[in-house]
Amino acid sequence: MNKVAVDFENSDIGSVFIYTHEAHPGENYPHLTSMDQKFRHAEALRDVYGVTRRILLDALNGACHRHFGSMPNMTWIFNRSGVPVYKSDWSDPYSVRNALEYYLEIPNRRKAGERLAPFHVERLDYRNQERELFYESLERNGPKAIVEFRKAFPSG
Amino acid sequence: MWKSLIKEIDMPDHTEIDLYNYDEFVPEKFERWMRFDDSPPVGKLVPDFPLWNLDRSTTSLKTEITKHAYTIVEFGSFT
Repeated sequence: MNKVAVDFENSDIGSVFIYTHEAHPGENYPHLTSMDQKFRHAEALRDVYGVTRRILLDALNGACHRHFGSMPNMTWIFNRSGVPVYKSDWSDPYSVRNALEYYLEIPNRRKAGERLAPFHVERLDYRNQERELFYESLERNGPKAIVEFRKAFPSG
Repeated sequence: MWKSLIKEIDMPDHTEIDLYNYDEFVPEKFERWMRFDDSPPVGKLVPDFPLWNLDRSTTSLKTEITKHAYTIVEFGSFT
């Protein structure tokens, strides 16, 4: 997702990461109990995972995250009016890139004389599960995170 | 100013905060939050929410998503 942000930054596309709650709390990164701790974990996300986009923190009660469905790693795209135009229950750079390329064509199509009107589309996209990376990240959280995930999803 | 805002949001409802920041990844604690089907529809304005920069300064969702033609918002955490 960092690369998508860089690739589109000159096309008037902004990109931010909103820090939510710990999906797989472990000994090293336990569940959040204060905003100070949330700031520390968000800084670790930047430093350990190399998130280069601006990281913004949601409130400790997850008001923003919960309003949008509170999925652990989802992506939304908003237009300048603050209206969501894309929502995805998981983050996938291919899907986001595809959507942005579509939206960036709209002004060109209008200039070419097309009379465009919005409509709704529902689509099933496919993401790379990146299982090895996922298990590496669970290890980073602490052994508890691995045990709990394997118990919740024995075939995961 | 951010300190008072953080304190306010830290304090009001510990049950809600504790439930949201669950301490174990067990279905009875995490499944309640998988509510994408109840999320707002695309094409409709959404309410504003307070957000914090890493330097502790305040901002808001609306401030951030109205800066550019489009803004990608990824939600997630370290874990």
